[in-house]
Amino acid sequence: MTALSPHVLEEIKELPAKYPQPRSAVMPALDLAQEELGHLTPEAMTEVAHALQLDPGYVEGVATFYSLFHLEPVGKHRFYLCTNLSCMLRGANEVVDHLKSAIGVSGPDQVSADGLFSYEEVECLGACEYAPMMRLDHEYHYDLTAEKIDELIAHRRDGKLEAPLAGPPQRVGRVAAPRKPRAPRKKKADG
Amino acid sequence: MAEIRGSYGEQPHHLLTKWFGTADLHRLDVYESKGGYAALRKSLLDMTPADITNEVKTSGLRGRGGAGFATGVKWSFINRDAPGPKYVVVNADESEPGTAKDRYILENSPHMVVEGILIAAYAVGANQAWVYIRGEYDKPYQMLTSAIEEARAKGYIGPRPFGKDYPLDIRLYRGHGAYICGEETALLESLEGKRAQPRSRPPFPAVKGAWGRPTLLNNVETLATVPTILNMGGAAYAKLGTAKSPGTRLLTVSGNVRKPGVYEVEFGKTFRHVIMELAGGPPEGRKVKVFWPGGSSAPVLPESMLDVTTDAEALAAARSMAGSGGVIVMDDSHCVVRAAHRLLKFYAYESCGKCTPCRIGQDWAVRTYERILANQGSQLELDILLRVSDGLQNGRCLCGLGDSGGWVIDSTIRHFREEYEDHALRHECNVGKALTHA
Repeated sequence: MTALSPHVLEEIKELPAKYPQPRSAVMPALDLAQEELGHLTPEAMTEVAHALQLDPGYVEGVATFYSLFHLEPVGKHRFYLCTNLSCMLRGANEVVDHLKSAIGVSGPDQVSADGLFSYEEVECLGACEYAPMMRLDHEYHYDLTAEKIDELIAHRRDGKLEAPLAGPPQRVGRVAAPRKPRAPRKKKADG
Repeated sequence: MAEIRGSYGEQPHHLLTKWFGTADLHRLDVYESKGGYAALRKSLLDMTPADITNEVKTSGLRGRGGAGFATGVKWSFINRDAPGPKYVVVNADESEPGTAKDRYILENSPHMVVEGILIAAYAVGANQAWVYIRGEYDKPYQMLTSAIEEARAKGYIGPRPFGKDYPLDIRLYRGHGAYICGEETALLESLEGKRAQPRSRPPFPAVKGAWGRPTLLNNVETLATVPTILNMGGAAYAKLGTAKSPGTRLLTVSGNVRKPGVYEVEFGKTFRHVIMELAGGPPEGRKVKVFWPGGSSAPVLPESMLDVTTDAEALAAARSMAGSGGVIVMDDSHCVVRAAHRLLKFYAYESCGKCTPCRIGQDWAVRTYERILANQGSQLELDILLRVSDGLQNGRCLCGLGDSGGWVIDSTIRHFREEYEDHALRHECNVGKALTHA
């Protein structure tokens, strides 16, 4: 049995022909894999590599470079909170603190106990006139306050909102062998 | 949809944003009712590619992505007659901290961007354009996708736009979260399915760009300005703004101001006008302390330099740069050292790792800032910061990311040495309200 379902692998195999050179398909292919699994397991990356006739190490090299690829499980709803200067000057760090306690996690590598939520602090998302802001479930949310965060969480806890990227629950089933966490770049900066 | 914050509606200096705020401007029929696609029609039917490039040269338009290179000149670098495919690649990977203008344009008037892209493609002899759009931009991506679909249904994108035997096509490629992709050669690497690490130049993209082919790379705002230029004429456009920085540009004003927004401003206006009038100035009881005039990478200017004007020449004379037009304003309740530390964390995180000075230096600076902010600083830390700053600059790295970190250190120390010394030598922060989390 493969980590990725046959129809996804078929779709991935059709990607290279859409670009002037086949290698350009690697990121769209990883997108499809992540969409199905929630994050990129080593098995999934290997399958993507084979489907694209690339070296697995190469594919992993691409996946580790870009921050929107997750190599560890993430919550069904991931909060991407901007804490760069424009947002920081308008209270983004306080919003982050509030969110962390509201979902009961202390860092970006953790997922809330119910598996629903995780977060990470991200760099400028290009909506500085609405600072502090964040991306959640493929949408931007503006003028954040503690109350707005609570509302967004409650809404999702009630199941009123389905995650657009529906996939199997990430904490169940076959879990990848323990791997070195991917965060060193970020951690280094956090010192 | 969130309320529009910034320029919209008819005003003499609103060239791009004139129709912003019109209901359904993102729809092709509404865009056309405002004169949209007239410039593309004229380009294809009444002008030669050389005419178009000359018109853009006459306008004096300079790239709005950050480097400010003359757009018409860049177009003329592409050899139209070279056999084989050529590409237009649109840089929609807006991620310079404090910059939101490309998102503003894409959300309000995606067809303006599509029209500009198609004109540019025809002018440089390309049939295929690629828009590299940052992965987080979900809504701009949707807006652009449906604009392209509409234009395709109407035949403006396709084998015979306006009956002209010149096939045109636009496709999108989504980024996946990497600031470095705003750098043009890193963007090309990413488009080719690689880790986004800048290339060494030459060869320049005009000769060997996307997939090894001649490529024109332009920013979203640059291309969005092209239809306006062709409609009003290059010479008329060149009369606006200053002699060397003609026209208008979209400034994103953010941070400690009462009315943050994306404002279209004629070059040559002062930052006092932009920050104090358009953006409403700092909150009640606060004063502007410092501002970044062109994104976080542009060296800072203190309050005393609010009368510097927005054109590239005035900013260069003030030892800063026009950059991406992201104006970040910080008031006197915030600490410059903490702000610089936050930005260095950004540059350290986003360094692609290819050039040693940037890979090592940015991180070294972050650790030095952390010692200072933990009250473990001394003269040595200040010396290290200046030394690292020097090591990051002056062409020691393949792209500007290295320099950018250096400029933050340099310019904040230049204008706020006392604040640095308070922290490093006296272990105190003399700002009214120090930030608790940096």
